[in-house]
Amino acid sequence: MAETFQNLLLGFSVALQPSILVYAFVGCLIGTLVGMMPGLGPLAGISLLLPATFGLNPIIAIVLLSGVYYGAMYGGSTTSILMRIPGEAASVMTCVDGYAMTQNGRAGPALAIAAIGSFIAGTFGVIGLMLLAPTLAEFALRFGPPEYTALLLMGLFILAYMSGGSMLKTLAMAAFGLMLGMIGIDVMSGYTRFSHGLVELGDGVGIVPVAVGLFGVSEILLTAGAPTAPDVQRPKLRDLIPSREEFRLSAGPIARGSLLGFLIGIIPGSAHIISSFVSYGIERRLSKHPERFGQGAIEGVAGPESANNAAASGAFVPMMALGIPTSPVTAVMIAAIMVHGILPGPLLIQQQPELFWGFVASMYVGNVVLLILNLPMVGLFVNLLRIPYSYLYPCILCFCIVGTYSVSNSLMDVWILLAMGAIGYVLRKFGYDLAPVALGLVLAPMLELSLRQSLAMSAGDYAIFVTRPIAAVMFALGAALFVFSLKPLFGKGGDWRASVGLDSEQG
Amino acid sequence: MSTRFLIGVALALFALFAAAQEKFPSRPITMIVPFPPGGVADLTGRPIAAAMEKVLKQPIAPVNRSGAGGKVGYAATANSKPDGYTILIALSSVSIFPEVDNIFNLKPAYTLDQLVPIALISADPTILVVHPSLPARNAKEFIALAKSRPNEIAFSSSGLYGTLHVAMEMVIQSARVKLRHVPFAGGGPAVAALLGGHVAALSSGPAAAVAHLRSGKLRALASWGDKRLAAMPELPTWKELGYKDVEFYIWAGLLAPRGTPDAAIKALREAARSAVQDSEFKQVMARLETPINYLDAPEFQKFWERDAERLVRTVRRVGKIDAKK
Repeated sequence: MAETFQNLLLGFSVALQPSILVYAFVGCLIGTLVGMMPGLGPLAGISLLLPATFGLNPIIAIVLLSGVYYGAMYGGSTTSILMRIPGEAASVMTCVDGYAMTQNGRAGPALAIAAIGSFIAGTFGVIGLMLLAPTLAEFALRFGPPEYTALLLMGLFILAYMSGGSMLKTLAMAAFGLMLGMIGIDVMSGYTRFSHGLVELGDGVGIVPVAVGLFGVSEILLTAGAPTAPDVQRPKLRDLIPSREEFRLSAGPIARGSLLGFLIGIIPGSAHIISSFVSYGIERRLSKHPERFGQGAIEGVAGPESANNAAASGAFVPMMALGIPTSPVTAVMIAAIMVHGILPGPLLIQQQPELFWGFVASMYVGNVVLLILNLPMVGLFVNLLRIPYSYLYPCILCFCIVGTYSVSNSLMDVWILLAMGAIGYVLRKFGYDLAPVALGLVLAPMLELSLRQSLAMSAGDYAIFVTRPIAAVMFALGAALFVFSLKPLFGKGGDWRASVGLDSEQG
Repeated sequence: MSTRFLIGVALALFALFAAAQEKFPSRPITMIVPFPPGGVADLTGRPIAAAMEKVLKQPIAPVNRSGAGGKVGYAATANSKPDGYTILIALSSVSIFPEVDNIFNLKPAYTLDQLVPIALISADPTILVVHPSLPARNAKEFIALAKSRPNEIAFSSSGLYGTLHVAMEMVIQSARVKLRHVPFAGGGPAVAALLGGHVAALSSGPAAAVAHLRSGKLRALASWGDKRLAAMPELPTWKELGYKDVEFYIWAGLLAPRGTPDAAIKALREAARSAVQDSEFKQVMARLETPINYLDAPEFQKFWERDAERLVRTVRRVGKIDAKK
């Protein structure tokens, strides 16, 4: 413990140098701005900035990039809350209740709670990284394809709790999402599926154009199609600060989201995307008034926002402790330090204490910077809503298209964005919930790959899912969840859906 | 038709004429990087672009056109305007895709004769790394183990028909062993699966494995080169061990679309030749633990032909993956 403390002092002595502090600040600022661009998320942000770090020293490079990463995570929530445009997959859930809060005139509190939740979760994640990185990393490696399959299946069960509307419609949308996720080259056999000869579809349909199209573009179309233009909001100062009640309601979701996000984040792979979905599902399940979800429940912002920020720090555990790039974002970060001749690997923490502890300390600093940067800016951001829709929406549409294109310089992504905007418009006219589409699209390729990898490992023997302890426990949990979610189909009255009267046809 | 229009036409014609006379390059060059930032192609492409800029006196802008394991960027270059202003930083996988398209009876997105070489920048053989729990101390024991337990040893790869898969497939075909293939989406997850012991073996780039070898988390058994690696002289090659047709490199080279004017190719070749001598470039490559293996276009052409022939032969023998297997 004393040693950790000493190391942390070393770290702060690095991170608090004025030059490094400036880069942490610049990183957070750039990240926030990038994250606010529709379609541009953390990955795009750090990818675009990576070449610029080649000339800097490695500590500055990694401080700058992690600032961008954090900032973009947070910036994505701003557009989700204010305009219903998710910057990346992780903020899809924030769109639902965050935007509903904006429509209720509570945009300020939603942004403030998102900032505070992100700060707490981020700080919690760094503490976890600092104290437990080597231990946790070894544990995380035990997550192979079978464990991953179990985790993702649990994610799928969460779908049942996600939506307030009809179960049938939720499942239909989830199926649509899963089907979209089938497009592309089959990793196990090499067959190209449903790509109609378009090479760009080989990797499948990206989540960013789909999420931005379904949520953002459809919202613009719906507003344009409304018989009367919605009133432009004129937020007052006292509407910016969360009420005592809102703070009270957020405390639990932030705490649970932080823990959950961190645990999911350390697992190698891209599963951290599901952390915000899982958090939303849990909060809704635990809430005494689940019917408020979707109508502007602060818990629906606090939980997922905390979860995705904690997952962001969790993802650094395998990267720092083992030097393996387990997700696209950490792959770019590893490249950034490799260019400087530092070999990431199990010995990194011992061989480069300044780098590791400087990085840890700079994450503390970065979280504080973000909070300082963003809380005062809540007022500024909210005032964007004063812009009349006839000016605001065309601009947003342009930003959506430019942002989506710039992620991989692909015109195909722009077409997907526009098509999804149209599909989203129609589906929302018919009262479908769109979040399950996003979760389905994210889950389908990962679930399919890990299931088939598991079977490749065992030469087709399904016993692999029960003979490995972690996988077996998770499957048991998943089965329990599944039975639990079936309950409303059989037992009447016990389910909250009945009390809302939304699900009568399921009876 | 106004006078102004005629003057405009005259000016345009003059500009066209002037352009034809101009020395290459007269405007910025685009370098297509068919992989996301941070990958091998990106990390090699950016420094070489920076070094070539100094010679050509025009900016070279790397543009990441990733997708479908590199196929999107390869196809985009092959079908771009051959004027010398679009070049490609390609990896060995460029030779594989057309053959895979053939296997599936698809119209190839591009063919190899649509691309011409400029220069080879680096070529690094992969190495066989295994999890320490595998009871094989050297390559001979590994093959013996694989023969005594057919289809039981699992190996990870960066993806089906991906470079790391094809390298392993060469050993499988040459040594007549059966291994289980577990493809992952990229080299990083493939290494993670090996570290976690979910698979037992992997053909990996030396740079991606070296830190884990030093810490004893993984063990290296053999290399795919035609001579031993300078950084790991104790490691035998498959060729030494008697598997004559096992030779594989992760190479990175500059290509241009066929039809690029000779003058442009010549200028680019010269720029690449001095770029590999550039001290800054050398420094970056040393930090990445990637040795520079420069070959000028004619030698690169020969190297590429031999390499592509090996890859295509291997991929053809792999064929379609039978769903029932």
